[in-house]
Amino acid sequence: MSSLLARARAAAPPVVFLLPMLLVFGLFSWWPIVRSFVMSVQQTNLVTDPVFVGLDNFRAVLDDPLLATAVQNTLWFALLALVIGYPVPLVLAVIMSDLRRARGLYSLLAYLPVVVPPAVAVLLWRFFYDAEPTGVFNSVLGWVGLGPVPWLEDPSWAMPSLVIEATWAAAGGTVIIYLAALVSVPPELYDAAEVDGAGVLSKVWHVTLPHLRGIMLITLILQIIGTSQVFLEPYLFTDGGPDNATLTVLLLVYDYAFANTTGGDYGKATALSLMLAGALALMSVVYFRVTRRWSE
Amino acid sequence: MTALARQTPDVAPEPEPQLAAPAGRRRRRRRTEGETRTITSAFERRRAGVRFSRAVLNGALLVFLLVVCLGPILWLAKSAITPTQDTLRQPLALWPHGVDWANLRTAWVDIDLKLYFWNTVVIAAGSWAVQMVVAVTGGYVLAVLRPRGGRIIYGLVLATMFVPAVVLLVPLYLTVLDLPFTHWNLVNTYWGAFLPAGASAFNVALVKRFFDNLPREIIDAARVDGCGDFRLFLYVVLPMSRPVLGVVSVFAVLAAWKDFVWPLVVLPDPAKQPLSVRLPRLAAVTELDVVLAALLISCALPIAFFLVFQRLFLRGGLEGAVKG
Amino acid sequence: MRIHHRRLSALATIASLAAVSVLAAACGSSDDDNESSGKVTITVEGWRPGDEQGTIDAVNKQAEAFMKENPDIVVKPVEWEWNAETFATQLAGGQLPTTFRVPFTDTKGLAERQQIADVTDDVNALPYAEDFNPSVLAAAQGTDGKIYGLPTDVYGVGLHYNRDLFEQAGLDPDQPPTTWDEVEADAKAIADKTDAAGYVQMSTNNTGGWMLTTLTYALGGRMENEDGTEASIDNDATKQGLEMLQTMRWVDDSMGSNTNFEWGTINEAFAAGKIGMYMSGSDVYNALVTTNQVDPDSYGLAALPLSDSPDAGILGGGSVAAVSAKASPAEQEAAVKWNDFYRERKNYDPDAAVADAEVLKASDQPIGTPTLPIFDQDTWQQVQDAIKPYVNVPRDQMTSFTDGVFDQQLVPEPAAHTQEVYGILDSVVQKVLTDENADIDSLLADANDKAQALLG
Repeated sequence: MSSLLARARAAAPPVVFLLPMLLVFGLFSWWPIVRSFVMSVQQTNLVTDPVFVGLDNFRAVLDDPLLATAVQNTLWFALLALVIGYPVPLVLAVIMSDLRRARGLYSLLAYLPVVVPPAVAVLLWRFFYDAEPTGVFNSVLGWVGLGPVPWLEDPSWAMPSLVIEATWAAAGGTVIIYLAALVSVPPELYDAAEVDGAGVLSKVWHVTLPHLRGIMLITLILQIIGTSQVFLEPYLFTDGGPDNATLTVLLLVYDYAFANTTGGDYGKATALSLMLAGALALMSVVYFRVTRRWSE
Repeated sequence: MTALARQTPDVAPEPEPQLAAPAGRRRRRRRTEGETRTITSAFERRRAGVRFSRAVLNGALLVFLLVVCLGPILWLAKSAITPTQDTLRQPLALWPHGVDWANLRTAWVDIDLKLYFWNTVVIAAGSWAVQMVVAVTGGYVLAVLRPRGGRIIYGLVLATMFVPAVVLLVPLYLTVLDLPFTHWNLVNTYWGAFLPAGASAFNVALVKRFFDNLPREIIDAARVDGCGDFRLFLYVVLPMSRPVLGVVSVFAVLAAWKDFVWPLVVLPDPAKQPLSVRLPRLAAVTELDVVLAALLISCALPIAFFLVFQRLFLRGGLEGAVKG
Repeated sequence: MRIHHRRLSALATIASLAAVSVLAAACGSSDDDNESSGKVTITVEGWRPGDEQGTIDAVNKQAEAFMKENPDIVVKPVEWEWNAETFATQLAGGQLPTTFRVPFTDTKGLAERQQIADVTDDVNALPYAEDFNPSVLAAAQGTDGKIYGLPTDVYGVGLHYNRDLFEQAGLDPDQPPTTWDEVEADAKAIADKTDAAGYVQMSTNNTGGWMLTTLTYALGGRMENEDGTEASIDNDATKQGLEMLQTMRWVDDSMGSNTNFEWGTINEAFAAGKIGMYMSGSDVYNALVTTNQVDPDSYGLAALPLSDSPDAGILGGGSVAAVSAKASPAEQEAAVKWNDFYRERKNYDPDAAVADAEVLKASDQPIGTPTLPIFDQDTWQQVQDAIKPYVNVPRDQMTSFTDGVFDQQLVPEPAAHTQEVYGILDSVVQKVLTDENADIDSLLADANDKAQALLG
């Protein structure tokens, strides 16, 4: 008995230190994860008792004609973000890495948009995107004889407009990551390349970029995972419009749960969340494999 | 929760490939820090052609960064004190009809921005405190005390990194609505905003890795001196952890300031909402010049915070991850 | 060492206990303390986000008067506005005020899902319970025939226009358009001669569907059959309306380049002088004044032009002051009493209407904005006569509406899945306004199929 007590006392401190983490993760991470599995096979309106409905929620989501639209839009956003947003930080970082004293100032500027709260950034850009010829961007385009562009007002322009803003808001973070990786390029490699008579561009191509390959792949996969969860931009800029041109998967989840004025459909919302999580898990596996390979 | 911006914290611990490099490599790096050699060599920089194109490229980049990154914020600062009609008719002119300082006051007082500003400060402070407590105690147990089952717990914590936060939106909301066992409803309380922020696997991993790398000799020596778990934590481990605590802190505060979706859902009462959530609603019913003034006020603090702690953001973030 | 250890664990214990108790205090509902003193506390819908201080003062003053009359009830007015985007969250979170107003369109759905309380007995206890216009009361009834709230305001859609822009465009502000052809012509004149858009129509957050339905009714069509079992979106009137929008948007270029508007944002843009004409409920002037500070001199309200079709009519809707299903019977009773006091009595009893006008006048709030009868037309007329001396809204700039509206057929909103059908129609409106080559026939056929799937 007394030995038990002693053992309990000895074990107490780790438990005390573990408690905050176990409680917080248990309540706000692990339990909701378990719960989303349970809810995806239930129908509930939070007032009456939930009813088990098997896979009906999944079926209802798959039958929803909006699902295809949302998936397409999300992929389209991810692709555009790749084309527009992916090369920008890389180019910036490579040029900046060759700076010496001014590098601090440059990275300060590049990172600045990252600290602007996204809601503020979107409201500001919504004004920039004014479709009238007197709008901010359209005025600038007018100087060079272009436009006016119907930024958010046209189903085919809306998504690129969202991606441009999202790139502005996020590129700085990626620049910093690349810069850190570039610091570790072994100088001997440059020395060796110079001995072989390589010019500046050739060094970038044969030394700098290959050195970044690992981190580039990681940021690529993380970007795809990040963009497939895009919510804030379509929600605040266009609310999924015009004509559902910016309705993304996550916006559809949100709409199922929170946008029906006579009560949310939480079953459908969690079912779709789980399907999205499944797709992302697949990507995470790829990500893990890749990082492991590159760290070996 | 900007989709792309989310990478920042996620990525930071990942430069591992280079960082956890073998000792030989690390020594080499230390040597390079003295030399600071980059893509172009000192010799090349003296060549006229290279010097010219470098100057052009760097100059162009500087202009690009000034216009693209700083420009919108300067424009916002200008328009926040410009009357609405001027901003609408000539958005790019510089005060064609004078400056209207009253906008800032109107935004702060009349549309009650001061309340939402304060709410945001409270949410940021609370989220920071919860994240610190969870990450530091958790990291300490897992890295230093290493109880049985610790690896499993750490695995479960890390696993949540791969469950996207937004996917949990609905079940998390329903959990907060009716907390297990206690049946407390945290909706419309700040606890509903603070506590879920603590469940950040990124923070725990960052702190744990840092603690893992603390010199074991010091910890063992403290143990030999009869130091218990609490004393070890308070007087040995914490004082050595300032770098990582700083990094976790700045990112925790910034993330709380930026968060939108979760406070939108968990704080439906306008009197409790932070700026991010409140601004879009106010923007729909408020005159443009006042909205722009409100936007400026809302990003002033994070920008100031960034300028003050820029080392932590730009370098410390990665070094913390490196060392940890 | 040991001392330290103990002190620290004691500290930790105290800290966690403190946290728990703070948490408990934060979560416990605040009306506990009132229950014990025998008082009932209710929160009630007070003012809209962005409302001026005068509006807030007026509500608070009314609340004080009510509490004097009912010493057992504590009323707390809060900022609240029905919003399609946030309503479900608040509903699920139990964060709605005890009583709040929902659109006519939602009463049946909410009642069916047991989200709002059956207050039949409380309503029947009111002196005027027998006198409701039956078609208005129907909007507050569930499919089970029980009453789920008080219908407190009824609007008909009107055409709101900016008199200044009419003048600048060389049009007579006292002669607003009376046909849709004239609307189109006037819109073009305004767009050509001023910076503003001539005519704008809401398009997002279900308001696009609401307004397309309005336009359809005005041209003699319907979106659903009367019992809400068959969708009829694919009809000639809707098609005609969309074609008109298409012409104004892409041929005349009289709708401006920004098309993303809902109820609140279109009000803001109108008050800022950026819109010549738009359709909204006849009572929107109140919001234009209290939320958007519109210039009264520039405001005009016209009756909605109707086509020659015998079915042409104006869309009529309104709000029901409903009570949360989570409220206790005592709270429900108190809530109905408050709604009677604050919202309903003034529609029935000329003395109450005068008393209400007195309070509004003291806080400089708009009085006399056109509404439609909730009881019979005589009652409505008596109330209007009683408050005549208090009227401070520019009634002579609204005569086109007030003279014409009683000759117009009032058509209720689609009977079943109204908001969802509106959501489907939002896309149609957005497509027409943002894509020059939108194929209206296929859009309507498609929308009809989607709606029919809902109506089942």
